[in-house]
Amino acid sequence: MRLPLAALLMVCGIAVPLVVSEFWTFIAIEVLVFALYASSFNLLLGYGGMLSFGHAAFFGVGGYATALLVKKGGLSVGLALVGAPLAAAAVATVIGYFCVRRSGIYFAMLTFACQMLLYTIALKASGLTGGDDGITGIRPTGILSNSIAYYYFTLFLVGMALYLMWRLVNSPFGYALRALRTNPGRLRYVGVPVRAHQWVTFVIAGGLAGLAGGLFALSIGSIFPSWLNWTASATPVVMAVLGGLHSFVGPMLGAAVYVILEVVISGHTEYWPLAMGCIILVLVLVLPEGLTGWRSLQARLRPFGGSGGR
Amino acid sequence: MLLFLISAGLSLIFGVSRILNFAHGVLFMLGAYLAVTIALLGPGTMTAYLAALIGGTAGLFVVGALIETGLLRRIYHAPHEFQLLLTFALVFIFGDVVKLLWGREDHSMAVPSLLTGATRGLGLTFPTYRLFLIVFGLLVAAVLWYLLQRTRWGIFVRAATMDRQMLSALGVNTHRLFTGVFAVGAGLAGLGGALAAPIVAVGPGLHVQVIIDAFVVVVIGGMGSVFGALVGSLLVGIVNAFGLLAFPSLAVVLTFALMAVILIVRPWGLFGSQE
Amino acid sequence: MVSSGPVLRVENLHKNFGGVQALGGVDLEVEKGEFRAIIGPNGAGKSTFFNTLTGLIRADSGRTLFEGRDITRQSPDTLARLGIARTFQITSVFSDLTALQNLQVALLGYRGATWNPWRSARTIGVERSNQLLHLVGLAEAADLLAGTLAHGDQKRLELAIALAGRPRLLLLDEPTAGMTAGERLESIRLVHRIAGELGLTVVFTEHDMAVVFEVATRISVLHQGHLLAEGTPEAVRNDPQVQQVYLGDAVIDAERDDPEGRLA
Repeated sequence: MRLPLAALLMVCGIAVPLVVSEFWTFIAIEVLVFALYASSFNLLLGYGGMLSFGHAAFFGVGGYATALLVKKGGLSVGLALVGAPLAAAAVATVIGYFCVRRSGIYFAMLTFACQMLLYTIALKASGLTGGDDGITGIRPTGILSNSIAYYYFTLFLVGMALYLMWRLVNSPFGYALRALRTNPGRLRYVGVPVRAHQWVTFVIAGGLAGLAGGLFALSIGSIFPSWLNWTASATPVVMAVLGGLHSFVGPMLGAAVYVILEVVISGHTEYWPLAMGCIILVLVLVLPEGLTGWRSLQARLRPFGGSGGR
Repeated sequence: MLLFLISAGLSLIFGVSRILNFAHGVLFMLGAYLAVTIALLGPGTMTAYLAALIGGTAGLFVVGALIETGLLRRIYHAPHEFQLLLTFALVFIFGDVVKLLWGREDHSMAVPSLLTGATRGLGLTFPTYRLFLIVFGLLVAAVLWYLLQRTRWGIFVRAATMDRQMLSALGVNTHRLFTGVFAVGAGLAGLGGALAAPIVAVGPGLHVQVIIDAFVVVVIGGMGSVFGALVGSLLVGIVNAFGLLAFPSLAVVLTFALMAVILIVRPWGLFGSQE
Repeated sequence: MVSSGPVLRVENLHKNFGGVQALGGVDLEVEKGEFRAIIGPNGAGKSTFFNTLTGLIRADSGRTLFEGRDITRQSPDTLARLGIARTFQITSVFSDLTALQNLQVALLGYRGATWNPWRSARTIGVERSNQLLHLVGLAEAADLLAGTLAHGDQKRLELAIALAGRPRLLLLDEPTAGMTAGERLESIRLVHRIAGELGLTVVFTEHDMAVVFEVATRISVLHQGHLLAEGTPEAVRNDPQVQQVYLGDAVIDAERDDPEGRLA
């Protein structure tokens, strides 16, 4: 069941830039990046049961790390992109150490506080981060300046990252993670050091988000502190919930739908937040399982539409 | 003081329904916008000002009640991410609604003539309006104290902060209680907005900073404690003022660092109840 | 290898909760193969004792030794990997996972194998998990979500989870809580049989005396944080102090139900 789906996705993925315009290729890059970002968030929430209000912090750190490495460090794109997940994972290691000591709403608030700390640093440390102006002019040069080439580059990296994540969630570690989401207390008594597992998951999720951030920063050529503001942390949550938290591909689907919706709606009106807010309302109230949970929605709607012939 | 009003509402809402209302900032902002509009009837006059205050508070009270009954009520039993998303959605929606209704530019409201200028006392000169705010804020705090400590409603609210399930087992109509608390919280935010309108630039970005400060206060003071909100807002005010004087760029970092430290060391804040 | 001394030895365990003394110096020794019951009226300290043994709470002073090894300060997960398993009064399983997956996770946990991020876990321990399910009578429930099982079946699953790591000491916290009288005897007999087959040492807390006298080889009586009596079921039953602590309640009950003493 899974293999044909994966193969299909791969084929689509490879075919995309060959059939669409440059603009849509660029959008496709964005979809890939956010698919990784949303999936990294879901590793925390859907698999590990940890709701973070501050996941955008790692996306932002990855972006800034890449930007700084390219602009100030003069590194090539490839090396800078190695730096992104490493930097994000490093930050996640420190932040995670403190955050996993708490659970539930306190954990969430702590991630929020940490993200705002980073936001403030990005805003104030203008010598390093360019402050409010951010960092610009970091588009890749050379082969990767071509958007099709960059697309395949992104496809390759995102594909690899998602494959690694796939192996992770189906491994013993992944099983422990799922058990953790369900009943962290019980898990300790079967011999699993729960907090350590949570910490490691946090770091991995942060690292993956960082990679996404770096890829995104390069693709649009700039990065700003607003990436680290608290409102940015809604994005991965929306995408993951939109697609469906309890499946592996759900968040990817959610990311695709979200990006495309944003592009389409922003093209017609400046009130994209309003539209997004309404979509979220519908999602939360009517479709809590997300798009991949449409089967349960069908079951719920059946009493209304089923016996029409009577 | 304004921070206290907002934080008190946020704290109460969290204490009773365990929902972290990210939309509290936009409620504050709506209150400010409403006040500005109402005050246009008689700019600078005391009557218009009072009308604006009442309008802002009552209006948000109603909005809060509507939000609670129409939306929040359906997701009390949902996992936290849905509650988070719902309040986020409100932020996005209202953030744009104000742009639609009032445009993107900043608005302003005149301070009522009675409260302009400065007052002199204790060898210091103080802007009269700010003095009024402090006094008014303390008055509201006193009213809240009375409500919470001496009325039946208040007892239920405080009990709910400590143990929700017990309350419904005792036959209290929790639905109405939750609606009431949210409406009051919203009303307080609206009042805060209305009071703030004469001294801030009322624009679509007003809510962004407010909610963050409110979160910091609520965490420090203790989620669910109005007294904690008072203490917290005083603390934050002092830290901010001190920070601005001593290390301008670090002041903001200090508040978040303080928030993080409290969450690590004593997450239920100074006056919150341990769960 | 393993010392020939007692499997579990508790020395002078103290625990205070803000002025309330829950455990006031408890000494206990459990030999291999015993089926030891810990009884006592409410508030006697049974839960505290249990939670201290399993690492949930840290004792203020005293020592706990498992097979001669000091385990006083160990965390629950370390204890589990050392060979001590426990069940919970309020049934606690992984409700979103299937019964089979519950056991797979347990197996991985007890072996300390949950750090592997690469290998496919779907087929790990399937045979042994099925064996365990069969042992507790849940063979057909393997692919059902644990949360959908009936309460009694969940309790069996919990037992299976506890047995997954081949523990040498099994701690059961009110194993028959929430069951009907008939279910209780059946349940404890199952545990007793399995413990005998696997050579386990079992320590359990219990309120229902019928259950206790059915299977216990020795009984320890806790009262107000102290060990009141200990010995064979007969000895404990006839102990005057125990009778007063328990029968005292029984006398009061008798008076309430039969004030004129007509049923004496």
